Amino acid sequence: MLQRWFAPKPRLTAQQAERLAAWVALPEMGMKGGFERSRCVVVDVETTGLNLMTDTLISIGAVAVVNGKIVLGDSFYVVMQQRESSRKENILVHGISGTAQREGVEPAEALLAFLEFVGKSPLVAFHVTFDETMIRRAVRQYLGLALKHPWLDLAYVMPALYPTLAFSHRVLDSWIGLFNIRIETRHHALADALATAQLLQVAQAKARQKKAITDISGLRDLEREQRWVSGVS
Amino acid sequence: MSAIHPSELAFITKHAPFDRMELAHVLWMLERMSMGYYAAGEVIVSPEQGAVDRFLVIKQGVVHGEQSVAKATDTDTWMELAEGECFPLGALLANRPVASIYRAGSDTFCYELAAADFLELIATSAAFRDFCTRRIANLLEHSKQVIQAQYSHSSAEQQSLASPLSSVIRRAPVTCAPDATIRQVLEIMREQRIGSMVAVDEEGRPLGIMTLHDVLDRIAIPQIDLDLPVMEVMSTELSVMPPQALAHEAALMMAKHGFRHVLVVEDGKLAGLVSEKDLFALQRVGLRQIGATIRHAETPQVLQQAATDIRKMAHNMMAQGVAPEQLTQFISAFNDLLTARVVELECKSSGLLGTPLHDGLCWMALGSEGRFEQTLNTDQDNAIIFEVPQGMTADQVREKLLPVARRINETLDLCGFPLCKGEIMASNPKWCLSLEEWKRTFNGWIGGGSPESLLNASIFFDFRSLYGAEHLAEDLRVWLARAAADNSRFLHMMAGNALRNRPPLGVVRDFVLGKGNTLDLKMNGITPFVDAARIFALAAGVSQTNTIQRLRLSAAKMRLPESEIDAWIDALLFIQVLRLRHHDEVSERGAGDDALDNLIDPETLNELDRRILKEAFRQARKLQSRLALEYQL
Repeated sequence: MLQRWFAPKPRLTAQQAERLAAWVALPEMGMKGGFERSRCVVVDVETTGLNLMTDTLISIGAVAVVNGKIVLGDSFYVVMQQRESSRKENILVHGISGTAQREGVEPAEALLAFLEFVGKSPLVAFHVTFDETMIRRAVRQYLGLALKHPWLDLAYVMPALYPTLAFSHRVLDSWIGLFNIRIETRHHALADALATAQLLQVAQAKARQKKAITDISGLRDLEREQRWVSGVS
Repeated sequence: MSAIHPSELAFITKHAPFDRMELAHVLWMLERMSMGYYAAGEVIVSPEQGAVDRFLVIKQGVVHGEQSVAKATDTDTWMELAEGECFPLGALLANRPVASIYRAGSDTFCYELAAADFLELIATSAAFRDFCTRRIANLLEHSKQVIQAQYSHSSAEQQSLASPLSSVIRRAPVTCAPDATIRQVLEIMREQRIGSMVAVDEEGRPLGIMTLHDVLDRIAIPQIDLDLPVMEVMSTELSVMPPQALAHEAALMMAKHGFRHVLVVEDGKLAGLVSEKDLFALQRVGLRQIGATIRHAETPQVLQQAATDIRKMAHNMMAQGVAPEQLTQFISAFNDLLTARVVELECKSSGLLGTPLHDGLCWMALGSEGRFEQTLNTDQDNAIIFEVPQGMTADQVREKLLPVARRINETLDLCGFPLCKGEIMASNPKWCLSLEEWKRTFNGWIGGGSPESLLNASIFFDFRSLYGAEHLAEDLRVWLARAAADNSRFLHMMAGNALRNRPPLGVVRDFVLGKGNTLDLKMNGITPFVDAARIFALAAGVSQTNTIQRLRLSAAKMRLPESEIDAWIDALLFIQVLRLRHHDEVSERGAGDDALDNLIDPETLNELDRRILKEAFRQARKLQSRLALEYQL
């Protein structure tokens, strides 16, 4: 643990440092543009396990939702090279074999590519804490950057939009089941991200219709209220 | 770096046509696709959105197509599309708005491809292209719907008092200068057969109006000098409306103030004139009414009006989606009725009626009229068979009949059937013959085989009786069936001649265009079918003259497969639809009958029609190869 806290600063090649600086310098993206004039990136990660402190990233899948539509050509998937492959029971969950894990993309390179794909578009996930933590830790570890990026959590937005279903629908599977969103291969980062993106489309339509919310910023406010509601109840 | 998930690929390649497309093409498409979500009940595509901007494949959910905008949403679902189905193909190919509303029936996700990418994919992927244009029958069905939709749209517009005046105006207004004399104006009104005249200034601003109605009160009774400027007697109290005003507003204004005309004025300038009569004309012309009018007509003028009504009726019938086969039959039936009445009236006025000459006279329709395939711009093709009464020679009979025939031809011309440029008319002494003379003439053609005989045969052998002594035509038909079927050399030459007229398709299946970059729908499109059908019918001894009936009836005897016959007939009918539509559009624009041609520029057709037309020409080619096979050409 301490090793990780006081790990030496990661060594980036000059070119990588330059790319990172360029990403940092990108202008922030507003979230009030309206769903029709916005880009956000829905993300899902697969990890070696569920422990936020010890487990590490295996793959990142991301899908862009541009102007309300999922753009199939605007999607991202990367498997990160692992020092050691994850435990057997975990492999059974995400289906990425040990060989594939060891043959993945070098982490700094993978994360840079991910950041460049995202740009400064807001990120969206279901249960943000997990994905955000895993990605922030990896970015700090391999790129030496404290990532501060706006996120939107559908795990709070959905119950806010469908209050009567809040208790019966807590996990991604029950929400995507509700809207008949099919996932061919669950627990594949890209497939999950795509399903989550479809859920975001549903949320956008519902928010507009029910609460007259027309942009990501409005959904974030909704998320904040819902966090407070679930905090006190 | 894009990372299309294998499951998207797996899903899309489960469905037609993507299952048959090259992987590279599918990936190209997926790269450019986006996915949209539509909540249950949400409109996905509608006619109001204008030309369709994207191609959709249902990933999940159900989409309903609803026929009518006006009707309730849940009651008249007429089409249900499910997962993996594509829409709206026809509208995309034709670059037009959809005819129906597509609405999500449940929470629906669709893959969407921009129209430009769709067209590019059509161009690159043969499998995709084939899917989109696959079965001519399918598309024909579709095209019929489109045509029907277009026409019912336009006819609804025309026939409804809720349409803007701009759509009611029939032609540019006839105007005069304010200092024109009354005499000049009245002469123009008579020449042009118009009921009113508007005087305008140099900028086209209306100053005054004079109607036929005013002539009595303002000119005739007060005995006004006809050389006075017309402004003196014109009414300057004008009823003016903008082109956007609705027909019923105009009707209301007329009713309230007793005006018979409303001036349609745009930016101060006279754009048109709408009369009370125009508004009444919005109502449909009834079939029965036309029939009765023709039967009881006593003067050519009445028949002329009836001819106009027939055209109007044809337009209405297209609007109602009547199939071209029935439509041409209807047109033929009414034209028959009209022609017969013209002949009858002329026989009466020339004193022929009741004489042996009249009893032994058979007026024949030839060519397209003989085949019941008349469209709106059919030239006259007619002839007479007569019996020679005792004590007279054929020449003597002819001498008596020719002037009558000439007047009939002229009256028909006035009724909108132009005189035949090739002089194939009953008033031509060559085509006013006794039964014996006809047999001799036909026999000469069958035995001769010169290009001229073959051409004549192709026109005259489609004869049928239209008025008078029908048995003469029947006698000739029976005689011809035997004579032609017995002469295989003649049929062989007819086939060779027919094959000289190739459908205008190039080697790469593109159109081969004639002068002015046009296709002749009649010569290149219809004629190959008509010619082949005639030969089949003559060979099989079928006495029908109609091309479709000829094809159907000779099929069995010629051992032609039913499915092929159907495809040929569909192709022929499609070309016929295009041709009718072309005529209809031209006459709608107010052009005269002379402007009715069969030349169309394929570029002006929409993508869908163009494709079907190519397929139709391909069917013509197939029919010709069948003919070539039959006669070893």
